[in-house]
This record gives sequence, C-alpha cells and structure tokens, in this order.
Amino acid sequence: MLDEVIKILNEIVGADEGEIEADLNLFEAGLLDSFAVIQMFVALEEKFGVTLAVETLPREEIVTPALIARRVEQAL
Amino acid sequence: MTPFSGLLFFYIMGLLLLPACILGLMGKSLRHYGFIFTVLMLIWVFGENGQLLSLAVFAIWQIALCLVFFHSHSKSRLIFILVIILSLLPIAAVKIGELFPALGTRQLLGVSYMTFRGVQVLLDIRDDRLKELRLLDLCYFLLFFPSVSSGPIDRYQRFVGDLRRTLSRAEYIDMLRRGVWKLMFGAFSAIVVSGLINQYWLAALPPDGFLATLLYMYGYTLYLFFNFAGYSSMAIGTAHILGVSLPENFNMPFLSVDMKDFWSRWHISLSTWLRDYVYTRFVRGALRARRFKNPRTASYLGYALNMITMGVWHGLTPSYLLYGAYHALLMSLNEALDLHWKAFRKLKQKGFSQFVAVFITFHLFSFGLLIFSGRLFS
Repeated sequence: MLDEVIKILNEIVGADEGEIEADLNLFEAGLLDSFAVIQMFVALEEKFGVTLAVETLPREEIVTPALIARRVEQAL
Repeated sequence: MTPFSGLLFFYIMGLLLLPACILGLMGKSLRHYGFIFTVLMLIWVFGENGQLLSLAVFAIWQIALCLVFFHSHSKSRLIFILVIILSLLPIAAVKIGELFPALGTRQLLGVSYMTFRGVQVLLDIRDDRLKELRLLDLCYFLLFFPSVSSGPIDRYQRFVGDLRRTLSRAEYIDMLRRGVWKLMFGAFSAIVVSGLINQYWLAALPPDGFLATLLYMYGYTLYLFFNFAGYSSMAIGTAHILGVSLPENFNMPFLSVDMKDFWSRWHISLSTWLRDYVYTRFVRGALRARRFKNPRTASYLGYALNMITMGVWHGLTPSYLLYGAYHALLMSLNEALDLHWKAFRKLKQKGFSQFVAVFITFHLFSFGLLIFSGRLFS
C-alpha cells in the first residue's frame, strides 16, 4: 500500500525517484497543496475503490505517505 | 444592541455566565445550561434590536430544512439543490435588502454566519456524514450565541463532540482561564485598539487624495485586524467558558509569505469552510468526471468560485464583489507562480527574499481590504 501511495504521489507532484519517503512531511516539503491533496485522494479512490472524504480529515492526519497509506487501509 | 459592546452587555453576559462557571467547576455538564444561556442572550439581544421574530422564523426555516432533508434519506440531486436554494433564501433576501433599502426587507444580525451553519449541516447530510441529527443539538449549533454575529464558523460534528463531553474540574479550570484571558484580550483589541485606530487615524484622514487613501489602506488593515480578531477572540473566550472550543480565526496574518499562506492565517474558519465545502467539492467533482483536459483548470476555476462566493457572502455591493474577484485573481496567480516558477517556493522560505515576499503579500491583502472598505467607491 505504501509503495502504491508513493507511486501515485510521484506521478502527481512530479517528484524524482526516492525523493518521497514514507515519513516525509509532504506539506512542509512544499509538495502538496490543496489541489494536489484532492488529486491524490481521487487517484486513491480510483485505484482502490474506496471513498475518502478529504474535507473531514485533519491535515495532520495526512501529512506523510505512511499516514495516507494507513488511512486508505482503514477505508478498505 | 451589538454583541460584545457596551458595559451593559458585558455585565448581563457576565451574570448569565456565572452559573456555567459554577457548573463547570463542579465538573458537571454544561450542555443544557449552555443552551439556556444562548436562548436568553438571543432573546435579549435580538429583542432589543427588534429582530426576535425574524430570528425565530429563520431558525425554524433552517431547522425544518435540515430535519426534513435528513429524514427523507433522499439521494436526488434535484432535491439537494432545492434544499440548498431554500436554505440560502433568507440570506439572499437580507443581502438584496441591504442593496435596495426601498424594498423594506427585514435585517437579521448574524444571518451570514447562521446560514453557513445550516448549509454545512445540509452538505454533511448529502455526503452521508451525519448518522444522527438531534433537534436540540441542531438548534444549539445553529443559534450558538457567542459566535452568532461574527464567527468563528464552527462545524456541526465538532461542536456536538464538545457537547457530548463533560469536562473534569481540572479541564474546566484550564478552559475557564483561557476563556477569560481570550475575552479580556479580545475586548482590549476590538474595543480599545481598533477604537483608537478608528478615532485618531481613519477619522482624521481627509476623504480623498492619493496619500490619504494610502494611509487609509494601512490604517483600515490594522483597524479591521484588531477589530475582527478581537471579536473572534471574545467569541472563542465566551465559548470556552461554556465548555465549547471554537476554532481559531487568525494566526499572525501579517507574516504571510503569499496569498495562499494569507488565507490560511486570516479568517481561517471562513477560508477552511470554503475550501472544504466549495473548492474541494468543485475540484473533486471535476477530477472524477475528467471535465478538463488540464486538471489544474479545475483548481483555477475552483479558486474563482471560492473567492467570488466569499465576496457575495459578505454582500452584493460592488466593493464586496470586486473584493472576491480580486482574491480569485490573486489565488490563481499564486497557484500559477507555484507551478511554473520553481524559484518562487524557495524565495518565500528564508532570508531577505522572504521579507520581500511578506512585504508584497501585506500590500496585496491591504489593497484588497481597501477595496472591501468601500472607500474606492465612495
């Protein structure tokens, strides 16, 4: 799951291989903005068939790829 | 009668808050007394203003819409749009009435903030986020007195979470201490500081001329910040005394490095509400349906929709509409710079260039507030 999340993030933000690690704070690194967050969640919905309401998730719960992967696993 | 102004207001509110303090210090639930406090304050303030009947009609209208929509379990898009339009009817009538006084439409203090609460509940029902909707909780949320006239804008589920929780004596003492501090700090900011700026800076300026308008822009920015942040602080403080933790509304906006940063620091509860319920819904819908060849188009249009909604929410006068359009333009420009000028992100992060970014951002939002003030149109 974590690898899939990182792969999707790489595609969305155009990051280099290895730039995004499991515990990287994506907001502090300037990789995610409001639009990229929605884009990521839509991509995760399409990939895993889960519904994730981004507006109900506090930002601190989705700041790293590891936390995002955990959220998707919980929703599965 | 304006909430949080005048000695009589603070005296009466202080008296009515005393039972809440006693209950809180005894470790008892504040839920029921908090509701009684809200009802008593509304009767007094809206009664003084001659708006009690309008408030009652508005509240019944919004509550009925929420309850009927919730219990209908309708998934129809048409019905959803209909209930949203019906929910917006009162604020539309008030705003049109402000623009055309000859129509004789009734005014209603806090209609903008209470409408946000009602619409948010309807949107959460639509998205299946509410498992239950209790009449008293809904009434309390919709009419919660401390934030009725100037926010912050709370969320139903967060608010009800506070109502369900009974604070221990130690927790309440901490809330009470913070609440009293916020109330006093807010009063100093909104009444003393902004009052002095208004009296000795804004009122002393001549009505036109470039230099006077420039000084007005700086003065009005400071005036509005101290006034609005002060009222928000008083609302948050009063809510704390009632055991409710309203969201913060300001976080050092003068340190913003760009306009996106500004909107995460200024009127935070409004900008996050619009981000979650307007921008996110629009962009997500567009991405799911693949409406645009370039997905970022959805973001630019989302910002336009977001900011124009914000302008219209403030009112229908040209100054508010232009204020919304101005911020729509700035947000889209900010987004484009973030995307296409890689050095922009680094420049904002440290050193002298960060200072320049803060300086420019300050002037951009100050000019926005000058538009908002209406002085350019007078």
